[in-house]
Amino acid sequence: MRTSLTMAIDSRIYSEQVLYKCFYWFSQDYTVDISIGEGSFYNVLIQPNKENTVVDWDTLAEKVKQQLIDFKLRDIVSNETKTIRELIVAKAFACYDIDTTPQTNVSDPVGFIPAII
Amino acid sequence: MTRKFLHVENFGANIPYYLLPFRFHRINETKEVIVNEVDDFLVVPVGTAAQIIERKINRREDATLYGDLLANFFISEQPIPELIDVLATRYRTKKSFLDHFTSLHIFVISLRCEHTCHYCQVSRVTADKDKFDMGREHINAGIEMMMRSPNPHVTMEFQGGEALLAFDNIVYAVERTKQEAVLRNKKVNYVICTNLAPLTEEILAYCKENAILISTSLDGPEFIHNKNRHKPHSNSYQLAVDGVMKCRQELGEENVSALLTTTNLSLQHPEEIVDEYVNRGFRNIFLRPISPYGFATKNAGKNKYQTTAFLEFYKKALNTIISYNLNGYYIREDYASIILKKMLTPFPVGYVDLQSPAGIINSVIVFNYDGKIYASDEARMLAEMNDFTFLLGDLSVNTYEEIFYGEKSMELAEVFTNESLPGCSDCAFQSYCGADPVFNYTTQGDTWGHRPTSSFCQRNMEIMRHLIELMDSDKKIEKVFRSWITGKTDAIKN
Ligand code: SF4
Repeated sequence: MRTSLTMAIDSRIYSEQVLYKCFYWFSQDYTVDISIGEGSFYNVLIQPNKENTVVDWDTLAEKVKQQLIDFKLRDIVSNETKTIRELIVAKAFACYDIDTTPQTNVSDPVGFIPAII
Repeated sequence: MTRKFLHVENFGANIPYYLLPFRFHRINETKEVIVNEVDDFLVVPVGTAAQIIERKINRREDATLYGDLLANFFISEQPIPELIDVLATRYRTKKSFLDHFTSLHIFVISLRCEHTCHYCQVSRVTADKDKFDMGREHINAGIEMMMRSPNPHVTMEFQGGEALLAFDNIVYAVERTKQEAVLRNKKVNYVICTNLAPLTEEILAYCKENAILISTSLDGPEFIHNKNRHKPHSNSYQLAVDGVMKCRQELGEENVSALLTTTNLSLQHPEEIVDEYVNRGFRNIFLRPISPYGFATKNAGKNKYQTTAFLEFYKKALNTIISYNLNGYYIREDYASIILKKMLTPFPVGYVDLQSPAGIINSVIVFNYDGKIYASDEARMLAEMNDFTFLLGDLSVNTYEEIFYGEKSMELAEVFTNESLPGCSDCAFQSYCGADPVFNYTTQGDTWGHRPTSSFCQRNMEIMRHLIELMDSDKKIEKVFRSWITGKTDAIKN
């Protein structure tokens, strides 16, 4: 009976951070060892926590792939929006009075901008 | 007046857009939910989050989705959205429960109790031991500390044991607080948590005079309630039900609430429990899981049930509650209502178990009968098991500053925001959920907790997913849910 799954994951596609965030959620049922492999690859060894557990390895591999993609997507959002997020929080807790009428045309459905009349 | 249209390039299909912070979670095989930084959510087909992130949403071809994403702050056409101040204000509103700091002050006015419930969360003691009542000096010091809270609106909650066994203490505390509140310009709500067994006319009259709310327990029909709450030589259920009726008559329906404690036995009877609440005329029910504290953890055989079993119970009971609403009887489930209010309105909810920063210290503090101060009620229960991890100090020794800004509080501050906890930091439900270091410590041995094996996480994630799925599957259910937030019953009839 197969007792473990080894995956080689390309670090050029998935960062170490993405790997750890992803495999964190597998730690309920599995022990996961992440090590540096050959070239640009990480080796990931996955073993069930409980001995003699019957694992559907194909399904598990699929799930890992799906989760890796999801965590990579989360990583992209998180990196791209880091500054704006900090700005929102900083503005939210800064001691200043917010303009009661923000200067904007976004809620202006017919393109009516008083400033350009 | 002339009206001008924006330049034609504003209507092009290929304007690049910028991402705003959001998170996503699959809710079933076909749908996923995306949640932005200020709690707004959209249910979309699986794969949509990926398309948004990969800039595959086209302004013209996917006009409706594009418009929704733009209007709901998931994307922006400027690097910094024009409405950033609106976003900031919304964010601030979400966290506005922090503005005034601690509101709920729990006074464990006596540890004495005449019940012998098998799941009791504090050590029971016989009813005649005066040494288990809170001393007057401790009551005075507790009131002083409560008056120091920057919050202009505080709640003083009396708990036990059985709080009414020390009614003289309650009267003393309320009278003193009333005077202090006038001097310090504070508004105080009073709550007594009681099994109602020791209720008398005199007690009722005093509660009425002082607008004291009554919070009691009703675990379901007689056979469940009495099995859970054993009172030697009497019928606990009958005492509770009669007490509720009397309180309603005297104090008004809105001033009496009942809490349900779920046990192994209750798990098998979700429908009967809801029916009992409806038959007794309640308009709300709080489906709480049993807490892992006090005697509860010792009595493993009776109380250790799987979160999965609780979730199954919860969903069946919720289903029954929804059916009652759809058939014209308004009854709200409180746990769902708390989460739904966070999901469907811009406002926060003052519920200590689902807050980030956590409810401990920020919203609640507990003064024990012996003068010890704990970070929460659960922390106090842990201390009854001789674990003093969340002991903050002593009413007769420590100052307000030492308690609220002391070393222990600072240590806890490290772990009480879920924005910075492993697992939670990427979770779509982060802003609907909370951080509970006391629960983490009790169930997993450390205050950070381990989300993949946490029953707090498993329970909340599934309940939130389920609520969103229900709303998405049937607009009538969404109407019922909205009526729970607004209290407007006519919403469900249209
Ligand atoms: S506890 Fe679980 S459900 Fe709640 S925010 Fe954290 S990861 Fe999400």
